[in-house]
Amino acid sequence: GNQNVLKTSLDKPFTKLLQTTRYALALVIPLLFLSFISAAQIQTKPVINSTLKGKVIDAKTRENLLGVSVQIKGTTNGAVTDGKGEFNLITGQIFPYTLVVSYIGYEKQELVVSSGPIQIELKANPNQLNDVVVVGYGVQRRKDITGSVASVPKEALSQVSPSVDNLLRGAVSGVNVTQSSGQPGASATIRIRGGNSITAGNEPLYVIDGFPIYNDNSSVSTGIGGSATGTNSGLNALATINPGDIESIDILKDASATAIYGSRGANGVVIITTKLGKRGTQNVTYNTYFGQQKITKQLSLLNGTQWAQLYNDVIAAQGAGTPLTATQISTIGNGSDWQNATYRTAPVQNHDLSFSGGDEKSRFAVSGNYFKQQGITINTDFSRYSARFNYERSLSSKFKIGLNATGSRSTSNGVAANTGALASGFANLGAVALSTSPAVAIKSADGTYNVNNPYSAGYSGNPIQDLNTVVNETNVTRTLGNFFGEYNLLQGLVARVSFGADLLNTRQNYFAPKSSLNGSALNGTAAIGNNDVNTWLNENTLTYSKAINTQHTFSVLLGYTTQYYKSESVTSSSSNFLNESSTYNKLDAGSVANPPSSSAYSWALNSYLARINYSYLKRYNFTLSARADGSSKFGSGKRWGYFPSAGFSWNIADEDFLKDNKLISNLKLRLSAGATGNQEIGVYNYLTAFTPLTTSLNGTFLTAYIASQLGNEKLKWEKTTQYNIGTDIGLFDNRIVLTADAYYKKTTDLLLLVSLPLSSGFSTALQNVGAVSNKGIELGINTDNIRGNDFTWKTSLVYSLNRNEVLSLGSASYINPSVPTILSLLAPVRVIVGQPLGTFWGFKTDGIFQNQNEINNSATSDTKANTKPGDQKYKNLGGDPNIITANDDKTVLGSSQPKFTGSLTNTFTYQGFDLLVFLQGSYGNKIYNALKQQLNVTSLVLNSTTDVLDRWTPANPSNSVPRASNQPTQVMSDRYIEDGSYLRLKTLTLGYTVKQGTLFNKAGIKSLRFYLSAQNLATWTKYTGYDPEASSFEQNPLLQGIDYGAYPNYRTFLAGLNITL
Amino acid sequence: CNKLDEKPYSLVTPDGLTTASDATALVSGVYASLIYDPGEQPIYGRNINFLADMTTDDWAAGPAAINANVQALSRDIHDASNDRVLAIWRQHYQGIGRANTAIDIIGGLSIDPVLRLRLAREAKFLRALLYFNLVRFFGAIPLVLHTSTDLTNLKTPRSAVDVVYTQIIADLTDAENLPAIYTGTDKGRATSGAAKALLAKVYLTRRNWDGAIAKAAEVINNKAAYGYDLPVSFADNFDYTKRNSGEIIYATDFTLNASLVSYNYLFASSWPSATGNRADVPADISLYSLYASNDIRRAKTFYTSKVALVGTNPTVFTYAAPGYFNKYVTDAYAYAGINGYAAPISFPVLRYADLLLIYAEALNEKNNGPTAAAFEALNEVRRRAFSQPIYSPGAYDVTALTNGTYTGFQDAVWLERRLELACEANRWFDLVRETRDGKSRLVSEVSKIASKTAVSERNNLFPIPQSQRDLDPEGLPQNPGYGN
Repeated sequence: GNQNVLKTSLDKPFTKLLQTTRYALALVIPLLFLSFISAAQIQTKPVINSTLKGKVIDAKTRENLLGVSVQIKGTTNGAVTDGKGEFNLITGQIFPYTLVVSYIGYEKQELVVSSGPIQIELKANPNQLNDVVVVGYGVQRRKDITGSVASVPKEALSQVSPSVDNLLRGAVSGVNVTQSSGQPGASATIRIRGGNSITAGNEPLYVIDGFPIYNDNSSVSTGIGGSATGTNSGLNALATINPGDIESIDILKDASATAIYGSRGANGVVIITTKLGKRGTQNVTYNTYFGQQKITKQLSLLNGTQWAQLYNDVIAAQGAGTPLTATQISTIGNGSDWQNATYRTAPVQNHDLSFSGGDEKSRFAVSGNYFKQQGITINTDFSRYSARFNYERSLSSKFKIGLNATGSRSTSNGVAANTGALASGFANLGAVALSTSPAVAIKSADGTYNVNNPYSAGYSGNPIQDLNTVVNETNVTRTLGNFFGEYNLLQGLVARVSFGADLLNTRQNYFAPKSSLNGSALNGTAAIGNNDVNTWLNENTLTYSKAINTQHTFSVLLGYTTQYYKSESVTSSSSNFLNESSTYNKLDAGSVANPPSSSAYSWALNSYLARINYSYLKRYNFTLSARADGSSKFGSGKRWGYFPSAGFSWNIADEDFLKDNKLISNLKLRLSAGATGNQEIGVYNYLTAFTPLTTSLNGTFLTAYIASQLGNEKLKWEKTTQYNIGTDIGLFDNRIVLTADAYYKKTTDLLLLVSLPLSSGFSTALQNVGAVSNKGIELGINTDNIRGNDFTWKTSLVYSLNRNEVLSLGSASYINPSVPTILSLLAPVRVIVGQPLGTFWGFKTDGIFQNQNEINNSATSDTKANTKPGDQKYKNLGGDPNIITANDDKTVLGSSQPKFTGSLTNTFTYQGFDLLVFLQGSYGNKIYNALKQQLNVTSLVLNSTTDVLDRWTPANPSNSVPRASNQPTQVMSDRYIEDGSYLRLKTLTLGYTVKQGTLFNKAGIKSLRFYLSAQNLATWTKYTGYDPEASSFEQNPLLQGIDYGAYPNYRTFLAGLNITL
Repeated sequence: CNKLDEKPYSLVTPDGLTTASDATALVSGVYASLIYDPGEQPIYGRNINFLADMTTDDWAAGPAAINANVQALSRDIHDASNDRVLAIWRQHYQGIGRANTAIDIIGGLSIDPVLRLRLAREAKFLRALLYFNLVRFFGAIPLVLHTSTDLTNLKTPRSAVDVVYTQIIADLTDAENLPAIYTGTDKGRATSGAAKALLAKVYLTRRNWDGAIAKAAEVINNKAAYGYDLPVSFADNFDYTKRNSGEIIYATDFTLNASLVSYNYLFASSWPSATGNRADVPADISLYSLYASNDIRRAKTFYTSKVALVGTNPTVFTYAAPGYFNKYVTDAYAYAGINGYAAPISFPVLRYADLLLIYAEALNEKNNGPTAAAFEALNEVRRRAFSQPIYSPGAYDVTALTNGTYTGFQDAVWLERRLELACEANRWFDLVRETRDGKSRLVSEVSKIASKTAVSERNNLFPIPQSQRDLDPEGLPQNPGYGN
């Protein structure tokens, strides 16, 4: 099975290589002509005389710097440092003289030399203009870029984070990161310049060392343990990558930058480059931290006495008196604190050990990582072991090879979904614990868990016991590797071929013992699932770079790539366990076997790409790029999509009229336009298909085939056209650097699950219908406030504003997306033309009915006879004046999309100390607090929040909380739509770097830093749930901003150490 | 270069359907549409009861009915956005779509012609059953008979009620050629008896008394050939272990299974607790009080006492009459705490007692007064209810009629239907069908319940779901009384 897949998949790229070589040769010939135009540069050699020996190192990291230019001022005499950072300059001069030392990415230094040998320390240049930025299929100087490309600052990269996506938080403008839950290993939702798509994926494309990966959490799930309901058990596929290995992250935002990724570029591209050793140095680095995490906040729930009074009130509302006496109520006292029993203080630790180095010919980095995070909910954790090997070597002056390979094993123990008898109200076992009556004891007198809940019919289990005993484990093994060969065919002409594989294997284990709520009805149930996802990639590119005179520089990129993806999953389960000791390890110990299930699918993508960068006088830069993608996911005639882009930038500061301006050190204008696509729709959607279904007829199980989808041979790409205008401004010698962008994106031919007339027998079909727009402004300001020798202070401000609007849904004016769980009854979300995605839909509350007269004179949602004083009143917005109906009186209640987001980072250094203060916030987004709605349904069984203490009674004419009654019907209203705006002190880090000294040199320590850090130290928000960063439905683009008992966020205090030998 | 047309490994495409097993599996899909709809209550797993019982004087939503749409149906104030009404519309058309697909595909397969004809007829029986429900709920409806492959042309306007019935009768007439009895694992499939009995019900609804009498008589007079009879135990009809007993003409069986290949909520909605929290359909006393105390149907229709587990302790719960509905509660499963949705039940769609009452009613209508055969049919049902020998006159027979013989017999049959068929998704259909003084009995009967005074003439039809009208406003005008 698998071996065959492996073999055939490998064969394909090799055949392709041969073909590609042919293409390559056809391209080489015209380029040859161009190369002859080049003029060879002649180097003048200095007269042999006196010499100066020296060494150049990085002032901070103490690493040797290779390739530094050392020149005597006023002469052409110069040398370049070698692999040990050393130079031997033939000076022909008498001391003293002035040296000019320059190196890309470092501040130029002039120093007077009066004797040799010398050691020169270079400081890294805070000015990023000369930095090299990784763009698709290549690198570019920031100065020459025409598109909107943001690099995540070094400060952000050095943040402590369990996974890559969380590093992007607040780091650059235009990128909105929302943590979906606090569960260790859980994912974040990332939107680059808003969501383009309604049904298809909205997450960006990640390119890790050249390997494109769409971070689809379903690839690490088999649906076991309840992740199918989208509630809190998904593991983040990106958590398999060690953030400590990351050298740089560059984010491609506009079409000029992303169109080279064609059909996958519409949601933006995150390019991740991992660390490689530096030439001329060998380092051993060990980074570690230990920390403690604690829940940031407790929900205010009823205590035992308060709950007992509510219980009495509910029964009294049924006209059945008050069963609990005052004595009984006072005996209950505070009762059990289920919330407190659910959460704990939990440790986290991380260890990174890396070896890196390089010489003139090769560079390498080898690293190992161990990360272990216990969750703040009992019995949850995430751990990762990973190893990486990066290697690059020049085999000859023309031939270079390289390898990036990483292997990791991640294990997550998550909160299981609630599938038990009370599953109707709460999505997961954690939320079940919160909802348990405080009048029920957690443990019995004999110390065992109490499973007798006198207020609940049937077996209710004990949620704390369940959290401890229900196994919900995900193990992910990932091997991601990419190797390449690069050959200099001619001066400036480089051919590059790479092969890569991403082997992702997921194993999930689930076990709910008969003592648990989930397992009680089935007498213990176990399930295992395996999902094997393999991606193969072959990329072939040809790059030609050329400078003509000093006026024209250009580079041309041509490429062909092919990618193949296959996923095979299988799950099996059984129940009715006589003996539970083998848990999920022996399914045949359960006497009831369920039908196993399995599935397999694959997709392939073949692409041609091309890009031309042209620069005139290094002032006027042009980029043209195009990609043609052929995807198997679409109808036979619609497989190929074409994605062109054009960009222009003008370095105005280099013009004569600004050249000597003291104020303006950099001024650049950027313009771009282009088209990108989206293919994240799943597979085979264009086919008419039948799926098997097991059904029963008169007690006999039999297989049925049911038509599961109506084919659409016209299915094609979703297309996003984007326009960008931006400017980069540097003032006062770049002490103030400002980047501003404005953009407009329009996505058409949306891959939309269009509602069909149900009389067709089908509910929906995927069609290319409708349009969405995103427009916005991004601002990034970096200031170098104080640049002293002892004290420095830098500030960085990031601001993003995006306005999303659904422009069209074809013939429909709205869509009701399907919502899992009990929330389907409430239908809280609607996609409406003219409104943003994530629009909440429901009734507007209008206080509480105070008396019968008010009921008689108002619209009521029930009949007048059935409406009582104390019931919720809703606004009548039209239709029948006497009755509130869903058809006439539901309206827009706000959107989960923020009006703007921002972050502010201040970094201070004083001698060896460094202090980082990182504030992050979001404004204007709404959260649907679905957990609170479920808790506040007054009943005779479940606990509520203390909101219900203010419930309406004749004596307490509340105008906000209705009277107590037994499970009043739930309706979607603005009562549980809350302001999700927040400002958060996300990170506070104080570090101390030990000064260099002889002790250091003896011990061979190049650098040593200690730090203390706090995350989520303070949050200012009106949101009454655990945390304003919550999204129970994770990556689902339509169900953002719903908090249905999402795993709460936590505060972390940690201490760390970085040491380099 | 990778090939761009990847193989759909785990899907079956239309080309892949060739064998007799495939044909059978397509028809099994139509059967499944009655009992399985992932994430939703299937048609005969309680959804049909929300329309056919909850809106009537038989059912009311209890405090655990947290769905506001169910509460609205219970008060007869439901609007065109009602999610239960939409679900019924969707589930029926999904089943019809599967039947259409099966009929279209099976016709083109080279398989045993006998099997091919039988499978197509089973699909037609089910299609007729589904259309019969729909046309009664909604009146004129889109009549779709083939699976469309063109996504751009899926709108179908409402067809007149007569046109829909013509198709129903055509399908059932063909289905009359089905086998009378199946053996082995084929037991439970649609039979010729089921087709004839359903046809009798269709004709009764159409007030075609001759047709109803003829079809009912064909079954009743040959009941041995079809294997039908009135068993002594009324309760057996709802006992899964005795499913498809002699009285069952057509039933949907929800088989106990851990993987939930079928869901029913009827058991769960009748299930007691210390708090009244779980049983979300309490019985109404007005129905309970219609039963004589020695009517064996009362004890199977209601319970006032049950033993259930609280925590791990068996506890006796006792309720004041009428208590809760009992037809779909099996004590053993209740006690074992079986997941309510997976509990096995047998839901009778058509049973012999129903057919006897159809026969009695049609004879009375045809002859403007009851015949001897009409009395006999009615009384056979009554004798079983009072544990009398079924085929000899007994003490509980209806003999003398007040209020005139014609209307008096109408009253007797209608009452008997209510007592016999409570909770079997018949009440709303009966109340709309039964007319007195030229008006349906729905408003006059339901408005007797205090919480249901909002019922009005509009409730003789359900609203066309708003989401469907939004897709095709011209083709799907709204029924009167539900806004524009």
